Amino acid sequence: MASNNADELTPVVPPKIKSGARRRNLLVLGALAISVIALLAQGLLSSLNYFKTVDEALAQRTTIGTKEIRLEGLVKPHSITRTSTGASFFLTGSNGQVFVVSHGTPPQLFQANIPVVVVGHFVSAHSDNFDGSQIMVKHSSTYIAKHPKRVKAPNGSVR
Amino acid sequence: MMKELGRRALGPVSLLLLGLTFWLGYFVTPPDQVQGDLVRLLYIHPAMAWVALYVSFGTATVASAMYLWPRTRAESLDRIAHSAIEVSVFFIALTLITGSIWGRPTWGVWWAWDARLTSTAILGVFALGYLALRRANDDREIRARRSAVFCILTAINVPIIHFSVIWWKTLHQGASVFTSNRTLKVHGSMALTLLLSFLAFTLTFFWFLRTRYRIEVARDKQLHTKLVASIEQRRGEVPAS
Repeated sequence: MASNNADELTPVVPPKIKSGARRRNLLVLGALAISVIALLAQGLLSSLNYFKTVDEALAQRTTIGTKEIRLEGLVKPHSITRTSTGASFFLTGSNGQVFVVSHGTPPQLFQANIPVVVVGHFVSAHSDNFDGSQIMVKHSSTYIAKHPKRVKAPNGSVR
Repeated sequence: MMKELGRRALGPVSLLLLGLTFWLGYFVTPPDQVQGDLVRLLYIHPAMAWVALYVSFGTATVASAMYLWPRTRAESLDRIAHSAIEVSVFFIALTLITGSIWGRPTWGVWWAWDARLTSTAILGVFALGYLALRRANDDREIRARRSAVFCILTAINVPIIHFSVIWWKTLHQGASVFTSNRTLKVHGSMALTLLLSFLAFTLTFFWFLRTRYRIEVARDKQLHTKLVASIEQRRGEVPAS
């Protein structure tokens, strides 16, 4: 209550934050916490290692069976055959290779001698054939000019 | 005088360097051996990630730690941390968007749940959480203290993001600049443009930070003016004895 004295400015207790606002804040923080848990579950916990290399997959072939995995290896030169549904090629590791038949259009960087990750499964627990549904190109972190000796003339033409 | 000139020049110099980066990146540098013209995203994406992860979160973490340290505690440090995280949210979003645009033609997918991408997305959610936490309490001191602790805890994610491509198998490629053996894996004019982009985006961050900080100071001043006016009004309402 206001005092009669005009200079009396006793601090007043601030009104409590409305329960609606508090609830909204808690909801926002809760939603963010759930997002983090979902991201952790979806991403980090289930796929800290995003793929198995060809060597790992061949070594664990019996335990993997026909379960869907992501398989990483180098596309063997001169082994790519374009098919009506996609492409087939050999994927090599350090100690072995897998024959991949992939369905769907490969990415534009797909080529021989490039590391790729293929989503799919082995045809059987003892087979070296891999049935792929998606190819992802795992390009390197090295960047080199396509034509290192090519120079641009002052008039803009390339020599 | 020189300090003021430097402050005023920050914006124009940032824009100039950004313009120079774009010109070199799009018209001067050559296409890459494997990626062709897609390599031009190299001149914006890594620099944005550098600012989002290291520069802005680094600034916010140092400011937060200094705020928590009693000897250096100051309201300005809380404002710096807050402003840095806001700018970070902007750059994290740009990092994820440009990475996705780059990923579609190179990897063949817009998004992959690998350790690098997922941990970066988590950092974005943490940054939003920081901003939400600040709105959850009106008490300046409590808000600043809680925010500072939260910022330091979330910053643990930054080294996880950095080393994710080394610790785990990821679709995202390894480092091109901050490599373990300190060799730059980018050649010639491409390397110079890449390094210029880091400088341009870092200056842009500090320009944004300064602008955001000034807005925060102006807002606090306005709040104070309103408070003083309210007190004066209340004085006037009290009947004289």
